[in-house]
Formats: sequence, C-alpha cells, structure tokens
Amino acid sequence: MATTLGKNTPILVMIAIITGLLTFSFINSNGDFGDFGITVLSGLFQGMLLFLVASGLSIIFGLMDVLTLAHGAYFMIGAYVAYDVQHPGGVIDLTAAIPDPNLRFPVALIAAILVGAGLGVILERGLLRPLYSRPIFQLVMTFGVSLVMVEIVKAIWDTTIYSWQDRFGLQESFFELFGQQFSVYRLFVVGIGFVLIIGIALILRRTRIGIIIRAGVEDRQMVEALGINVQLVFTVVFTLGCAVAAFGGGIAAPFLGASNNLATDFLLQAVAVVVLGGMGSYEGTAAGSIMVGLAIAVAQKAAIGTAFTVLPSITPMLLLILILLLRPSGLFGSAHSS
Amino acid sequence: MTTRLIENLRENWLYWLIILFLLAFPFLVAAQTGSSPFGEPRGDRMVMRGESVRWQAVMIEIFILAILAMSYNLMFGFTGVLSFGHALFFGLSGYIIGLMLEYTGLDNGIALILGIGLAIAINGILGLLIGLVSLRLKGVYFAIFTLAVAEMAFIFFGRFALTRAEDGFTLTHVPIWLDATQNRITLYYVALGMGIFTFFAIRRLINSPTGAVFKAIRENEDRAQSIGYNTLTFKLIAITIASMLAASAGVLQVLLNKKVGPELLGIGNTVDPLLMTIIGGIGSFTGPVIGATGLHLLDTNIREATITIGSTVLHVSDFWGLLLGAIFILAVMVFPQGVVGTWIRLRMRWQKFTKSA
Repeated sequence: MATTLGKNTPILVMIAIITGLLTFSFINSNGDFGDFGITVLSGLFQGMLLFLVASGLSIIFGLMDVLTLAHGAYFMIGAYVAYDVQHPGGVIDLTAAIPDPNLRFPVALIAAILVGAGLGVILERGLLRPLYSRPIFQLVMTFGVSLVMVEIVKAIWDTTIYSWQDRFGLQESFFELFGQQFSVYRLFVVGIGFVLIIGIALILRRTRIGIIIRAGVEDRQMVEALGINVQLVFTVVFTLGCAVAAFGGGIAAPFLGASNNLATDFLLQAVAVVVLGGMGSYEGTAAGSIMVGLAIAVAQKAAIGTAFTVLPSITPMLLLILILLLRPSGLFGSAHSS
Repeated sequence: MTTRLIENLRENWLYWLIILFLLAFPFLVAAQTGSSPFGEPRGDRMVMRGESVRWQAVMIEIFILAILAMSYNLMFGFTGVLSFGHALFFGLSGYIIGLMLEYTGLDNGIALILGIGLAIAINGILGLLIGLVSLRLKGVYFAIFTLAVAEMAFIFFGRFALTRAEDGFTLTHVPIWLDATQNRITLYYVALGMGIFTFFAIRRLINSPTGAVFKAIRENEDRAQSIGYNTLTFKLIAITIASMLAASAGVLQVLLNKKVGPELLGIGNTVDPLLMTIIGGIGSFTGPVIGATGLHLLDTNIREATITIGSTVLHVSDFWGLLLGAIFILAVMVFPQGVVGTWIRLRMRWQKFTKSA
C-alpha cells in the first residue's frame, strides 16, 4: 500500500494541483460554465505552446545532458518565418503564388519547421558537438547562439513587433457554448498539442529509436557500448527538438505575433516547466506544461480587476518553487538522480 | 618584519604594481590627456567632462563587474554551486540603498551609511535563507530555483508602484562627497578599495581550511560529506558571503548611475558575471577580474566604433549583439578553461618544452 502510494505520488500531486486550479477557477467565474470554459481552453492553449518548447528541451537534456539556452530563439524564429511567409512583402512573398490564406498558413508552418530543423542541425553538428564533454560551456555557447539568432532576426526583420494581420478561416471562426464564443483556432492548437503529446509518447515507448533514446537517457555509455551510433541519435533528437520549437512559434504567431522577446519569455517558462516536471522525464514535461498553462490562465482570470496584475507573470515561478520545495527533483524526477 | 615584507613583495609584486597603477590611474590619464581628474568647475558645481573622469566611470564599472564576477566565482568556481539568481542580490541592494536615500527623509550621510549596512545585511540574511530552503536541491535544480526567485523579484519590481515600476527612479539625495556627478574620484577610490578588499578576502578565504572544504565540495560533495564535513554549512557560508559581496557591487552600481530600476534585477546581471567568470577562468582568483575587464573594455570601446570599408560605413553598435554572441561562442571554443586556464596550460607546455630541449 505504502509503496503504491509512494510510486503514484507525482500523479496524485498533479491531480491535486489541477483539481485545485479548476475548482478555484470555477468558483472564481461564479459558476458560469462559459467563463470557466474559456479559462480552461486558454490555459490548455498556453500549456500546449509551452509543451512545444519544453518537450524538445526536456528530451535533449535527458539524452544529451545539454540545457540549451537557444531553444527559445528557435520558437522566435518559427514565429518570424511563419509571419513572413503568410504576409505580403516579406523575404518570401507567396501571396501571388498561393492567394488563399487558408492554404498559405500550412505552408508557413512547414517553412517554420524546415528553418528550425536546418538551424538545429547546424547548431548540433557545428557548435555543440565539440563541447560534449564540457556541459557548462554548452550553456554559455547556446546563450551566445541565442544572442546571435536574435541579432540575425533583427537584421532581417528589424526590431518592429509584428502582430498578425492576415486572418484566415480557422482563426476567424468561433463556436458557441454556454453562451460564450470559443475560438476554433485555440481548440485546434490544443488538439494538435494533445496529438503531439501522445505521438511523441508512442514514439518513445513503441519504436526502436524511442527505445534507444530512453536507454540513452538512462545510460549513454552503455548504449554506445552496444554498438549504436549515439552521435546520430543526438543529431536527430536535437534537430527534431528545434523543429518542434519552431513549429510552436509558427502556430503561436497568429495569436502572439512575432517579436524579439518571445525568445527569452518562452525559454524561461519552458525551463521552469522542464524542471518542475523532473528533468529528463517526458511525462513530467507534458504534465508540467498543462499545469503551468492552466495556472497562468487561472491567474490571469483571477487578477482581472484586482491589484495583483503581476500574478500571472510570476505564476510559473511560484509553481516551480512550490513543487521543488515539496519534491526536490521535480514532480516525476527520480529522487536519487542529480 | 622586514623579511616578511620582502617575501610578500617578491610573491605579490605584480598585484602591488597593479594596485599602485590603479591608485595613480585618474592622475595618469589626466596628465596624459591634459584634463583634470576632478572634472571642470562651473560655478560652485563640477561638470564631469574630460578624459580622466570619463575613464574613471569606465574603471568604476569594471570594479563593480569584477566584484560581482568574483562573488559569483566564489560560489560557482570554488564551491561548485551553480546559481542563476545572482542578480537578485545585486539588484535588491540597489533598491535598498535607493529607498533609504530617497524615501526615508533621513539626512543624506546617515541614510547612505545605513543603506549600505542594511543592503549588505539584508542580502546576507536573504542569501542564507534561500540557501537554507534550497541548497538541498542539487545542481541544475538549485540553479533554476534561484532563477525563479530572481525572476519573481524582477517582475515584482517591474510593477511595484512605489518604486515607479518599469521606469525606476533617480537618486537626488546622494551626499555630495560621494556623488558620481560631483566628486567621481571619491567613488573611484571607494570602488577600487572594495574591489581590492574582495580580491584579497576571497583569496584569504579560499586558502584557509574553510576554502579547502569549499573546493572539496566542488570536486565531490558526497565524498566531502562522508569524510565528516557538514557540506550544507559550508555551502551556506559560501552563498552568504557571495550575496553580501554582490550586494556591495549593487550599491556601487546605483551610486555610479544614480538610477534604480528593475533592470538591476534582470537576468543580464546574472549572465554577465557567469560569462565573465567562464571566459576569464573558472575557479581562479584572477579569472573573473580579467573577464570583467576584457568584456567591459570591449563593450565601451568597440561599441561606439565605426568601420569604414571603401564607401560603406558600418556602425559596430548595429551588430553589437551579433559580435557579442560570436565572442561568447569563440571564447568557449578557443579558451576551454578560460583565459587563465589556457595561460597556465601554455606555460606548462612551454616549461616542458624548455626542459626537454
């Protein structure tokens, strides 16, 4: 009994926190299902965006012991590329080739993914590889890369903050529930997020490369000793992580637009998610993203009309501190690993 | 007595030379450029104009950054505790002294001295408390925990109405003898004194038995514990001293710029000392100082420069971030152990070479 409880503690804590958040939010919206629904949807939406950055960060850290500080910059690049492809007058102007904005948006997303993946390969092969044995220096180097990427973005797109102009069908449509308008696009992003959470989990659990990755997280040297080209796996995982982050930026752009500070904003929140979930634990990252997203949305709702407008911004940090004090290795982290 | 002095001089002659140079520095620049080290008088006030006072400001900034980097190195380089929240102590002490000077209505001199004392004491206690709560966290977890605490302070002061939120406030009640716009040279010597104190205090500490335990924790904490040391106590000592030193750097920063704002608490003030320490050389006494000097001189001198190639004129400030990023990447690739580490390795190789020849 005691051992099953001990084993399930993270899940219990998670359920307790999410239930607490939802109950509070329900009371906070005075029992109005419409308000409550909007808060939950907004929370899930933000959680999914966080997951897209944090999942790559988490798997890369687990496998390669690299905390890459450039990951937020990939999110930012994704947002810029998607914005650029969608709108007229950018670097790549597709408005003539694909006049329909509904069709242009998927193309914009694919472009974001490709750019993210390409830059990911360059970073891993060119700069990260010589530094495998020096983790602290990887921190500095990836921070430098993040600076350089922000500067390159400034050079190409200037320092203007772009807000999304070219509205397309999915973004414009709403459905009504409990007397409230819900954005279909948010629901769509949440859906994609869930598909990705389950999809990546299936890849990690059921495929050969997934088994290699999980084994690599446990004991890299042993996997190498078994004759597996871990270097190649590193490159693939790093590239995919960067591609997913860029995809996240692209998919977030219709809501958040494209600006330079996306890089640090999302990096900090994603790092908080990865740590509170337990470093290297995929389940922890998925659960942590949803929890932090929900908590931010609930705090945003609760802070309206009060003096605590600062609350939503510090929510991820508060949650992180709370969880680390309860469980020093994060929610799903193993107690004895450092 | 005299033999000890000679011994000391022989061992530390380079340090004494550098200290002498720094003591004479404002006057050397003044003599070289024909400007006054005290600024130019205009009526009964002084105007901070001329090469000497400009260079004093640059040097004060270097001393501040060096103190910050040295205090960071005490935790990270010598004790092996990686913290991402160093800006908390730096910025908070700035706010404390700012609030004491501007919002208490005390006499300027008393407010200043009380402010400095409070800033250092409060940050020492805060460091101790944060350490008590969080030092059982290991490695990256501790780093991220401190980052979270610092970011919360940053966001909080960015919205705090009393301290004018994002805009911050300027200091108008600094005692005239320490005012950076009136008597910059006093601030120069105060900052220099603090820098020298920090350097030798850390050196003394690390060469003491306590310092030996610090280094043991850095190398292998479990082993240090199994020998019988309470590693938590020693890590607490390190973080408390480091936070007090960082607080003194914050006080100097606010006195130099006469401005308090949330950017003092920003992540930049954590990243800067981290990078200066790494580039200069982790776990060496001179590394952080070299890193701070190099990076800040680069910042002040190259940033405003223009490069003319044929008919096109390039302003360095336009691609400053790019350059800085490239420097970080290059420094990490070319100087794996920092400047000091590389120097030591080269010297050892040279000695081997001359011995075999």
